Amino acid sequence: MSSMIYKKKSPLILFLVPAFLFLLVYLYYPFFQNIINTFMKIGGLGRAAEGLNEPWYENYQRLRTDPYMRTALKNTLLLTVCTVVFQVGIALILALLVDTIRVGAQFFRTVYFFPIVISATALGLMFNLIFLYKGGMVNQLLLSMGKLPTEVKASGKVLVQWLDWKDQSHFLFTMLMPVMWQYVGFYFVILITGLNNISPDLYEAAALDGADGWKRTRYITLPLLRNVLCTCLVLAITGALKVFDLPWVMFGAGMPENMSWLTGTYMYDQTFNKMNVDYGSTIAVLIVVLGVILSNVANRIFRPSEDL
Amino acid sequence: MKKSLAMLLVLVLMLSLVSVAAFADKAVTLNVVTSYGGDDGNRKNFENAVKAYEESTGNKVNDGSATSNEEWKAKVLTDFETGSEPDVLFYFTNADAEPFISAGKVVSIEEIRAEYPDYAGNMKDSMMAVAADGKQYAVPSSGYWENMFVNKKVLEDCGVAVPGPDYTWEQFLADCETIKEAGYTPIACSLVEVPHYWFEFTVMNNGTVENHLDVPAATDDAAAAKWAAGLNDIKALYEAGYFPANTLTASDAETVELFNSGEAAFLIDGSWKVGYFTENAEDLNDFAIAYVPGKGERSASEAIGGISMGYFITTKAWNDPDKREAAVEFVSQLTSDEVLSTFVTTEVTALVNGAKPEGLNPLQQSAADANANITAIAGAVQDSLTAEARGDLFGNVQNVVTGKMSAEDAVASAIALN
Repeated sequence: MSSMIYKKKSPLILFLVPAFLFLLVYLYYPFFQNIINTFMKIGGLGRAAEGLNEPWYENYQRLRTDPYMRTALKNTLLLTVCTVVFQVGIALILALLVDTIRVGAQFFRTVYFFPIVISATALGLMFNLIFLYKGGMVNQLLLSMGKLPTEVKASGKVLVQWLDWKDQSHFLFTMLMPVMWQYVGFYFVILITGLNNISPDLYEAAALDGADGWKRTRYITLPLLRNVLCTCLVLAITGALKVFDLPWVMFGAGMPENMSWLTGTYMYDQTFNKMNVDYGSTIAVLIVVLGVILSNVANRIFRPSEDL
Repeated sequence: MKKSLAMLLVLVLMLSLVSVAAFADKAVTLNVVTSYGGDDGNRKNFENAVKAYEESTGNKVNDGSATSNEEWKAKVLTDFETGSEPDVLFYFTNADAEPFISAGKVVSIEEIRAEYPDYAGNMKDSMMAVAADGKQYAVPSSGYWENMFVNKKVLEDCGVAVPGPDYTWEQFLADCETIKEAGYTPIACSLVEVPHYWFEFTVMNNGTVENHLDVPAATDDAAAAKWAAGLNDIKALYEAGYFPANTLTASDAETVELFNSGEAAFLIDGSWKVGYFTENAEDLNDFAIAYVPGKGERSASEAIGGISMGYFITTKAWNDPDKREAAVEFVSQLTSDEVLSTFVTTEVTALVNGAKPEGLNPLQQSAADANANITAIAGAVQDSLTAEARGDLFGNVQNVVTGKMSAEDAVASAIALN
């Protein structure tokens, strides 16, 4: 009886078809419709297309020449690089450190993972207050340390030159730092799980051979963690392309002076605020293409080793 | 015996279920969207009116109110286009409403009156907005005015007098310089979020109250010239350092708080902001409503104002037999003389008998005094633009003031999208 289950494959189709139909209706159909929309003239969400653009590839031409799109691409790629270096990098260091301590490991796991459970919108509002221009937490600290220039006017009023954390010189740090901070805990938990799977016998044997802490990390931990690390990197790269909510809450429409656009925020602004649905669809296509290319490249570079 | 008792019990149970269902049917849940959310000055009055409606009718209201801004406007339009519109909507009655009016998604007052003859009977028909198809759709609520709020304490510290109805642009520039020298910010404004207040007045300053609503049709017409001149006036104020140092990165809430906390002297805003100061100001006597400086042919006593919003009943609610009466009753209660009198302090209304606000606080009294000196009023010209053109124009203000784009190019870009 049980062998029949494996021989007769046709009933499996019954279980696969509903999920396939669901994806067909809610993923593939909208996706292909979205590609068609990029060639049409659509003046608002839900509105019927008013015919083809002139020329029909107008949006793709605009994509090529739009300076804000270039800014969005540049920022998104920068975010991707920072994600790999800082999110996964810091998570790895924290995981290695927590793995070596005996007391409080569970406490640190909870603490580092906590930002993940808070909504990005709430985090955005929190960081807005932290980096607030007048009276924000960081600026108050700087003021109390005497790091902000002050001037006493003839009227006796003390004028503080607050630091604008969202201006041209600081916006990248202010935008990227909370994003990095938010997801460190996610990769930390994945990496610490990977570390737990490494047999303690190996460390004991290495210790008997006279290997110190650094050598144990270099020659045992990191090689055995390679596959987990590769998974983290691929997740980090593809995840960076989808970052939207936190930068949107903090920087809205490209603040300052259209310099902080990301592909996601620019697509949202064009579609929902500017009501330029066809151009928004074109940006969406670009995001998908970029996602496929980058995730393929990441998969090739960080391919898990079959020896492990 | 047992069988008949069981049958009787089943019968009683079914009857009770039917009666509960019948009773439950009477309570209707209305989905309502208004701009009385966030920090709107009338939020409490609206919530009280909704509560009174719920208590008097037994109906429930799903309140989806939010703060009015470009994002909210876009969301409302999107809801209509995707078929998830509310039953009752409090929204702008100008070109913003045309997409759902022309799509037949709201019901005209004429059609409602055919079944409910007393609907909006307390309003002056002549003051109700007329749509492009010549019909009236929205029952107007209170009107609005836009004018200059001043922080009297800051002005006093700087030795500057509170502006009067004859305030000129030259006097204003001199006052701004004095205020800046004293270590205060002359103008509280987020040019990245709400440049439209200054745009309206600087455009009027380069034209007249009569031609304020002219929208440029070409880059070389008179309206385009005054729009560009208005943008250049804003640029001059920016270059002189009269806006907050972070005006291109600050939110509206941040700059309003700058003004409220006694760090800035002038703020152009609307009648809705009076409620904000009533709730948040430490001492209302520190604030007053003055006049936006006049230039050229415009006098400072000429302002922006009118009735721009009203209650729409959607076709979806009208065609639902359960919701039709509930929606009509909701709008009737929210626009009754008694309820509107709680919303109004100094704003105009379309009420036949007029509103009777009571117990004005010092800031409301100041607004009433300033309004008494207003000699002419014009609507906001931005209301004549499409969402795309408006978003483009105001998004480009930051590019104009920083010199990345000329004022003429910004106007041309908006014209192309309108």
